[in-house]
Amino acid sequence: MDNKRFTSLIPAAALVLGTTLSGAVLAKGPALKEGSEYMIVANYPNNMHVIDLQSDSLYKSCDLPDAFGPGVTQMAPDGKTAYILNNRYEDIYGINLDNCDITFHAKMSLQKNERTKSIFSFTLSPDGSELYAVQNPTMLNRDHYRVQPARLAVYDTSAGLDAKPVRTFPSPRQVTVMQTGADGTLYMAGADIYKVDVNTGEVGVAIPSRNWERPLYAPPDVLNAWPIQAPSKDFTILYTTAKFQDESYNLDTADWIYGFMNINLETGETETTDFGPITEIYFSGVRSPKDPNLVFGVLNRLAKYDIEKKELIAAAELDHSYYCVAINHEGSKIYLGGTFNDVAIYDADSMEKLGNIQLPGGDMAISTSQVFIR
Amino acid sequence: MKHLKAINNKAQLLTQAVADDSVEEVVAMSSLAGCTATTDPGWEIDAFGGVTSLCQPMEADLYGCADPCWWPAQVPDMMNTYPDWNKDAMNSKDDWRNLGTVFPKDKN
Repeated sequence: MDNKRFTSLIPAAALVLGTTLSGAVLAKGPALKEGSEYMIVANYPNNMHVIDLQSDSLYKSCDLPDAFGPGVTQMAPDGKTAYILNNRYEDIYGINLDNCDITFHAKMSLQKNERTKSIFSFTLSPDGSELYAVQNPTMLNRDHYRVQPARLAVYDTSAGLDAKPVRTFPSPRQVTVMQTGADGTLYMAGADIYKVDVNTGEVGVAIPSRNWERPLYAPPDVLNAWPIQAPSKDFTILYTTAKFQDESYNLDTADWIYGFMNINLETGETETTDFGPITEIYFSGVRSPKDPNLVFGVLNRLAKYDIEKKELIAAAELDHSYYCVAINHEGSKIYLGGTFNDVAIYDADSMEKLGNIQLPGGDMAISTSQVFIR
Repeated sequence: MKHLKAINNKAQLLTQAVADDSVEEVVAMSSLAGCTATTDPGWEIDAFGGVTSLCQPMEADLYGCADPCWWPAQVPDMMNTYPDWNKDAMNSKDDWRNLGTVFPKDKN
């Protein structure tokens, strides 16, 4: 399809702004429309953009407070409030996308001399009333730093701009992306995929990862930085591994494999499934809401796999690397975000490029894109 | 530790930890206090021993990697120490020439 068509859909204001100014001029634009499908993305220096997925154009932009990074986002189930981990991994903000007002703010650091980062690790309860964050505190003493135990902090999302945890629990270390199931179970990706009771803090294992016991398989290698709220309600985490031919564990004859660990957030069903040989690296992946047998991965190419056949069906060459893959609820269009300041759109069936949406502002870097219906 | 002799306080603590059989109490930092605390090598080769699965172009990966100290030796620590390193280069692909080197400040 002709790229010009999509270019022309970008509002004139965005074209005038080019890529040197923030989205300030567009801030407080129109409220979101009930029933419409949107995607949020965040970028330098302080922007939260809303893209209309009907017209594939920039709908509005909101200013964010404080410093940018990492720009990890989660959409509230009401389709109105976007939450973002920002200010160099130290603060979580809630933004009312209708009017761009900041309605929630929680500093991860809970006391003086404490510097606390959340490494991509926060999400919301299924009803949006609570926010969960794994926090990694370091005490900054005058002559030395002291690493503190990691903690899971629970916030009331109605707590306003000086939110404090209503509950805290010890947390496993090295936790990154998180999602909640429909029954309220919190799933956290770390050394294993943990399942947590958010009322008691009890931690169990939903899917063993580092500690999986799959005969003839090497331990998995996993990258988790994009907590994608998939329309299919899957929490999908890609892994790479080696499968040995026999108990001689000979790496020279092993099969090198891509796969995913998956939690169906509606049912709690878990799976660990290989979907193809490794031919290239993907930073994020998403399953199709239209056909659960399809999974897409992205980094230097957008690739589509048939999970049952464990085959690469199609791959699209990209203009540059993109970190974060998103798919619309119909399963017809793929949106590639992260890295620079353009979103690339692909047809999920033909894998043909449909266009780009240029964003005011700078790099999206490691930010998460989230598709949602208002 | 047979061939190493501790000569400062930190090294003596390590030796003591081994002697006390308390090495297991040492944990990796989930959140880095500065990029010197990571052992990630930065600009590496890809999983296949080549470069085609590294990000293209390199700038596409720049802030995503500088932010969390994935390239600790090559770019400043934007998470803690040099958060404004890219203040004149919001678009890495266009503005990369504005990215400079950084030096620790003298302690007065």
